[in-house]
Amino acid sequence: MATTVKTRRTLAKAGVITGLVLGGLFAGLPVLWMLSTSFKGNGDVFQNPPRLITKTFSFDAYREILGSSTQLRFFLNSYIVAFSVTILTLLVALMAGFAFSRFTFPFQKTVNAVIVSVQAVPPITLVIPYFGLVVALGLYNTYPGLILTHMVFTLPYAIIMITAYLNTLPRELDESVKVDGGTSWTALWRILVPISVPGLIAVGVYTFMISWNEYLFALTLTRTDDMRTVPIGIQLLMGQHSYEWNQMMAMSILGSIPVLVLFLLFQRRFIGGLTAGAVKA
Amino acid sequence: MTMRASRLKRVIGAVTAAATVAFVAACGSGDSGDTASDGSVTLEFAQWWGAELPAGEFDKIVSDFTAQNPTIKIKLLSAPYDATKQQLVTGAASKTLPDVVGLDGAWVNDFAKQGAITDLSKLMTDANYDSGQLASQVQVDGKTYMIPVVNFVYPLFVNKDLLAKAGVAKVPTTRTEFLDAAKKISASGGDVKGWALPLDTAVPNGVQNDVMSWLWASGGSMLQDGKPNLQSAPVKSTVEYVKSLNDAGVIAPGSLTMKEQDKVEKFTNGQVGMMIDSLAHINLIKKNKPGLKFEVAALPAEDTYTGKRGIPYASWGIGISNSTKHKAEAFKFVSYLLGQETNAKLSTIANGFPGNKNAKPDFSGSDPMFKTAFDIYQQGYPANEFVGLAKSEDLMRSFDEQLQLVLTGKSSVDDALAKAQESWSSVID
Amino acid sequence: MTSLMASKAAAPVEQAAPPKKKTLARRLVPYGYLSPTAILIVVLMVVPIVMVISYSFRDNVIVQENPVFAGFANYTKVLTDPDFLIAIKNTAIFISVSMVAHLLLGLAFAMMLNTPLLGGVTKAVFRIVYILPWLFTIAVIAVIWRLLLDPSGVVNYVLHSLGLIQDGVNWLGDPGKALWVVTFINIWSGYPFFMISLLAGLQGIPGDLYEAAAVDGTNWLQRFRHVTLPQLRPVIISMAVLDLIWTSQQFALIWLTTGGGPLHATEMLSTYTYKQAFSEYEFSTASAAAVIVLLLTMVLAFFYVRQQRER
Repeated sequence: MATTVKTRRTLAKAGVITGLVLGGLFAGLPVLWMLSTSFKGNGDVFQNPPRLITKTFSFDAYREILGSSTQLRFFLNSYIVAFSVTILTLLVALMAGFAFSRFTFPFQKTVNAVIVSVQAVPPITLVIPYFGLVVALGLYNTYPGLILTHMVFTLPYAIIMITAYLNTLPRELDESVKVDGGTSWTALWRILVPISVPGLIAVGVYTFMISWNEYLFALTLTRTDDMRTVPIGIQLLMGQHSYEWNQMMAMSILGSIPVLVLFLLFQRRFIGGLTAGAVKA
Repeated sequence: MTMRASRLKRVIGAVTAAATVAFVAACGSGDSGDTASDGSVTLEFAQWWGAELPAGEFDKIVSDFTAQNPTIKIKLLSAPYDATKQQLVTGAASKTLPDVVGLDGAWVNDFAKQGAITDLSKLMTDANYDSGQLASQVQVDGKTYMIPVVNFVYPLFVNKDLLAKAGVAKVPTTRTEFLDAAKKISASGGDVKGWALPLDTAVPNGVQNDVMSWLWASGGSMLQDGKPNLQSAPVKSTVEYVKSLNDAGVIAPGSLTMKEQDKVEKFTNGQVGMMIDSLAHINLIKKNKPGLKFEVAALPAEDTYTGKRGIPYASWGIGISNSTKHKAEAFKFVSYLLGQETNAKLSTIANGFPGNKNAKPDFSGSDPMFKTAFDIYQQGYPANEFVGLAKSEDLMRSFDEQLQLVLTGKSSVDDALAKAQESWSSVID
Repeated sequence: MTSLMASKAAAPVEQAAPPKKKTLARRLVPYGYLSPTAILIVVLMVVPIVMVISYSFRDNVIVQENPVFAGFANYTKVLTDPDFLIAIKNTAIFISVSMVAHLLLGLAFAMMLNTPLLGGVTKAVFRIVYILPWLFTIAVIAVIWRLLLDPSGVVNYVLHSLGLIQDGVNWLGDPGKALWVVTFINIWSGYPFFMISLLAGLQGIPGDLYEAAAVDGTNWLQRFRHVTLPQLRPVIISMAVLDLIWTSQQFALIWLTTGGGPLHATEMLSTYTYKQAFSEYEFSTASAAAVIVLLLTMVLAFFYVRQQRER
């Protein structure tokens, strides 16, 4: 009896590991090829038969990117924009989520529906009027222009998630503040925010990702190199007639590192934060 | 109430204001007025040229201008071709085009009709500019809207090693010879094919550079009196010829979604023996594959054709925004780029041919192939009928779709050309 | 930072106020909390949408100084354009296949990553590998897949070496395959967030439910059907709807891999609209197409909101 249970466990374990490895290959191989291309000379990218490591293996592409002040500026811009978007989205979404979670008010459902359907708006269709609007507001080619734009696209999901998260927290918590004479504002920032940290991290990582990788508006709403972000920087390496393959790949690898680090640091809390939201979401 | 609600408002206001202030302060580089207190003017110049030139070269040419004209500063807005196009379209739509813009001949008609770019003929008259020195001008309704600064011709590139390996002694000069050479190269083993034909519809320039070029090389035309004429015998024979290359299996696979970049990559890596491509790529190919033995030649023509051969070209054109407050200064910059000396210098570093007739590019430091190409160019005539046409990208795309139907056997050449004629006629009137 | 300071400033004790006014204040409070969101969404989303709608009813917008009112002409034009109908069909296939695959893959991967059979470190390593596709901007995803799927690229080379194919397969250039290939690429690039959300959902299922089921002597499949799935249902539905909405907006991936070709095989609503605006300069029809797309996606949003309310 014991042996069969044990063999069954071993079998199951072998099955899971096989599955994980296969899935891992599916997920990882294209990225591995990206990594390999970043070390190749441009002439060897289309080498036939393909090789993972070529004779032209070098770190030149990385050196080139890290040694160029323009490229580094793209990274700086991406950090400024993505961090600002993350912090502001969290602030604004917390307030909105708090309103949805803790109050009942007329038109609540309508407002909620509008916020949800906003993310159904295909961005490509808005580019032209949006551009005119941003120019008129004097936000063209500025950080605030880009930050506010990204927020419009990150806010809806952030609000949904935060509302769901706050719904999991017992109302008695904030009632107790009110009993002590505090306002709802105090309840939100003193009581709810500190215990919502896992949820906020989850939403924050999500928001950061969206902003970091956003491409269409980052392209349309900026026009000088001192305002452009990493995805546009990568696009700049695709000339009209040829690609700087190795630098493009090197830049994407470098660009993915901050997000990877964020995920590594926060993965437990990220998933935990989503869990609370997910159960009720 | 007031206490609480207004406090709340104040707090929200404070948060928003603080955030806004922080960002405005952080960026600090908002567009300050373009006329500075010392009377100097800053012109914005959006183009994709900087991205195509060796790093820093274009800035040098521009800073020379500012040295000569201390009151005019130039701010370069460089982006790749596609991105530049998208930004100019959005800019034109909202009347916020940069002062000076790099233009492709294919965009001119639409921008001119929108009133986004200004009539250069008038500026030339105002400035007493001798337009006789210009190699060409792109006009809409008799007015000049774009001046080509540098022209790039598209000759035939052949891989000498692959040709030799396939037993082809001579670079093909006629369509029959080309088909024969392409067949031999494709039969010489490996994944090698004779020719590459990029027909991707996202950027359908392949129709102009790789398909219509065959027509122009034999002196043909796709227009008659400015109206589409796609059902003529020369156009038909061109499409049939491309089809025969396809049927013979000498075109590299994937051509329906192949992009121009892929074509160059495949030639560079010895996966195709021949391609029609911009002369500007000689240096790129040499950089990526130093050992590749290749040369350029005139495009093959119909077997019986003896006249002058049209050679397709693309230009870095320049135009001036209609909404700029500094048209005179902008034109000064344009005439600087087209000046004999500057234009020669720019053409040399760009590996193109000058927009100023009197400018002599310096081939001494460059590859002997440029000299060959210059000879081909002078023996033939520059041909690109898409320049100045309305919605030319759309024309290319609808032709492209019909050609794809032919190549996939879903349509006959006649039907396809009839459909293309129909859709072109609805655009050009 | 600002928030902390702001909350301190706001902290002082509630002032006593006349009861009547207080109720009015209380009623206004939720709107106060919503105001930043409302301002942003109205200014930066509702205004442009209204502009697009107004464009869609006029002729020659943008390209001419004085566009004229055109009624529903632009809508008729768009709705009778065969390319647009193809785009609707392709988009429907693209988003629904992507969504189902995201769900199945996401669920399979999430369950493997949640297995009690493996140690924490192993699982953490795999988690990292599994979210990799999520980390890259879409332009790079398009380019790397073009490189891999080139007729003489790595994928064909590997398949050929394994003896699975004879000649090089023309993945993106074959009208019969292109749609499935771009869908595959989208599946690859889009499953991680679905997976992470499901993983989070799985971790939220109370362990005692499984224990109770195990006591009843159920097997794995039964536990999956009777415990896991019902527990995950809310997450699955939310994520499925959001995934449909997000995927329908996918533009750069299609544009940079196939441009909607070959022969409209991968033409989507997004690429169709883009071509109308940026290459035909038909901003009126582009706007009409955009409004139709907006209405179609609103249907999805409606289901989403309704589904949200049910809980």
